[in-house]
Amino acid sequence: MAKPKISSDWMCGCAGCHMSLLDMDERILKVVELADLRSTPITDLKEPDESGVDVGMLEGGINNSANEEVAKKMRKRARILVALGDCAVFGGVPALRNFCGIQEALQRAYVDAESNEPGSQIPNDPELATMTQTRAVHEVVPVDYNVPGCPPDADVIFYVLSELAQGRKPELKDELLHWD
Amino acid sequence: MVQLTINGKQIEAPEGITVLRAAESAGIKIPTLCDHKEMAPFGGCRLCIIEVQGFRVPIAACTLPVSNGMVVNTETEALKKSRKFILSMLFSERNHFCPFCQVSGGDCELQNAAYHEEMTSWPMQPGWKKFNVDTSHPYYVLDNNRCILCRRCVRACGELAGNFTLAVAERGASSMIVADYDVPLGESSCVKCGTCVQVCPTGALIDRASAYQGLAGTMKEINSTCTGCSIGCTTTLRVRDNRLVRILGNWDGAVNHGLLCEVGRYKLVNDQRPRLTTPMLRKNGKLEPVSWDEALGVVADKLKPLAGKNAVAAVASTRLTAEALTGFKELFADHLGSKTVTSLEEGVNTAVLGEVAEEIGPFEGRIDFLRNADLVVCFGENLVRNHMVAGFLVKRALPKGTRLISVDGEASDLDELADISLKPAAGSLTALVKGLSAVIVQEGLGRAELKVASPDKVIAKAVEASGVPADRLADAARTLAHAVCPVLLIGTGVTAPREAGTIKAIIELAKLVGAVDDERVGLLALKGKSNSVTAAQLGLDVPFAVNGQKVVFAALGDEIVPDPMLAKLSKAPYLVIQSAYASPLLEKADVVLPVALWSEQEGHYVNLDGRVQKAVKAVRAPEGARENAAVLGEIALRMNMPVKKDWRAELKARKSSVVLSGL
Repeated sequence: MAKPKISSDWMCGCAGCHMSLLDMDERILKVVELADLRSTPITDLKEPDESGVDVGMLEGGINNSANEEVAKKMRKRARILVALGDCAVFGGVPALRNFCGIQEALQRAYVDAESNEPGSQIPNDPELATMTQTRAVHEVVPVDYNVPGCPPDADVIFYVLSELAQGRKPELKDELLHWD
Repeated sequence: MVQLTINGKQIEAPEGITVLRAAESAGIKIPTLCDHKEMAPFGGCRLCIIEVQGFRVPIAACTLPVSNGMVVNTETEALKKSRKFILSMLFSERNHFCPFCQVSGGDCELQNAAYHEEMTSWPMQPGWKKFNVDTSHPYYVLDNNRCILCRRCVRACGELAGNFTLAVAERGASSMIVADYDVPLGESSCVKCGTCVQVCPTGALIDRASAYQGLAGTMKEINSTCTGCSIGCTTTLRVRDNRLVRILGNWDGAVNHGLLCEVGRYKLVNDQRPRLTTPMLRKNGKLEPVSWDEALGVVADKLKPLAGKNAVAAVASTRLTAEALTGFKELFADHLGSKTVTSLEEGVNTAVLGEVAEEIGPFEGRIDFLRNADLVVCFGENLVRNHMVAGFLVKRALPKGTRLISVDGEASDLDELADISLKPAAGSLTALVKGLSAVIVQEGLGRAELKVASPDKVIAKAVEASGVPADRLADAARTLAHAVCPVLLIGTGVTAPREAGTIKAIIELAKLVGAVDDERVGLLALKGKSNSVTAAQLGLDVPFAVNGQKVVFAALGDEIVPDPMLAKLSKAPYLVIQSAYASPLLEKADVVLPVALWSEQEGHYVNLDGRVQKAVKAVRAPEGARENAAVLGEIALRMNMPVKKDWRAELKARKSSVVLSGL
């Protein structure tokens, strides 16, 4: 049997979950031994194979039209979809803006913030993606495994990937289960 | 006792307890969020649902009493599924995003419950309703966004602290915790006891000082005794890196059962006075830092020639340990033969009690009697402000029908709470108390024998002297006589005038109404600071005055010296202070000896009802500050008059008004 293919991508997150993935240090060689690492934000290949991958991992929530596209593409091409980290699982820190709404958040970030130059404007280039409410991945596409944590420990990611690569269901509990 | 089966295990449980408590006592853990062992069963969160054979649907274990033959299951697949659903609903209701919450990672009961069910996510997303965060309180922050509406805080505020500040406003998903009629917490009737913060299962009530300072699991927890006042509440000190981070009430505390007041929980942690860490000597009119060796040498040289001449006046804080107070007394009274060896309290709260005890032996009972009192008479103490925890025990009983009579010549916050408030004119308390007894005797309501010659005259005298109307006096007397379990509390207003007659009249009244009989002693004086009783037992209870003495030694410890005492100390011709903090006395002091705080030394305290309790050294004193008892011992040693008396023996040397226990 060929090695299972793994892809990942990030959306509305902070890249921290991928940093945590790198934190597994030399164990990444073990992952490479078990699986074929395809597209990730930290490798050259940028999109999951059109022919499909076995495991797709998404970091970050979905807060604009571009994220939606990434999530849908990954869902379409991955047999198993993993939501990696709190933003992907719950919406996380970016979801806090849902409490005040998009306009207020943009106004605060681009205009009112003390660090902004006077006369700053909210970017309005038509090429920009359209902002939406921040959502967890499962609100947009079906998710097979939720791996919470901010970020999930390298141990957790290694455990999940190695279990999936060996055709087992990862079960998060005790030390491996934390939401912060 | 009833027999029941939980998860196949045969259990015997006393009748009347809930299934939850029965399971707990059998070591079976049922997850809960709203339940609290010190509060009445509530049944709010539904997390403790169980299956009972013969019941159609799952039921909350926290409100279900045990019954014989009950067959209970707590961990079926269906229950686990239901619990996950209940938790999902709680999580999706508000802002329960864990990464930026100060209790996440072990201190959050909601999160722990989710981990217990192995939840990796919840299927619903929040309604994104925003609640304002109330930051108006000096000690805590109320964030309704993180509230799960378990109402523990509301119940703690009323059921435990008797304050009834917190309540729930609005309905359904808009429900929120408010103070009073929705005013900012900082402007509310909150008495700042912090019980609500201690019981909050999530991060909705945030302790300002300790938030984000580390999780409980990363700190050392040390059980100790509060040194705030004479009640002697048991505390749990959280310490990290030699820093006292937080004080919690200890639920197993014999006196307080978890309660604390503002002083015990917050003021003791957050004392802003500048610390003293270097011994100082006045040289050419200016205080200058010197070595401990030099400072102690100067004090010893100054004191030694004065031995036997009654030329030293010494005063000590009643917040010092029993060990330090014993050394203090031995050094100044026994070795130096000073007549003026006393405490900052000067026996205001205890001397007269000791005087009566010399005559009749112990006559006071335990604070525990407050717990089932149906009437409390408080003589001369504002329990809302002083001895707050005792006040909580009284206030929380009022809605259950316990009556309160306040007898206080001074304006008191109890006046508003009391069913009957008597305001005797100054100096008329004895007459008033005798008048109360006379009414009871006259109307034949007494539960014990008491002979009163011509009660009419006694009543008339009471009315005339006190200015309390006759009908109100009679009303109070009848209320007292009809109570089944009355408790009489004696405050500073009674003890300060040092009139043994008043105490005796109150004892007489207590016996007459059955507050004191063979089985129970519902009579207790509130005393003063944490070692008030110890100071009294050591005889450190005479008025302090500088009257021709050459040296005044003030062992202040960590106490704030009251103004009248500051004035007296300022008259000292030569003043030695032993103090943890800077105070106005530094301007006057000739020698300054920096000492440890309550939390930096170990020692014993005797609380208001005679319990000998230990306060534990939780942190190291700053470099330069030494422990109180050690400083006194060192001075004595340098004078070749070592102190070696055993504090336990000294405590027993004099008859006490309370029964000393734990010695």
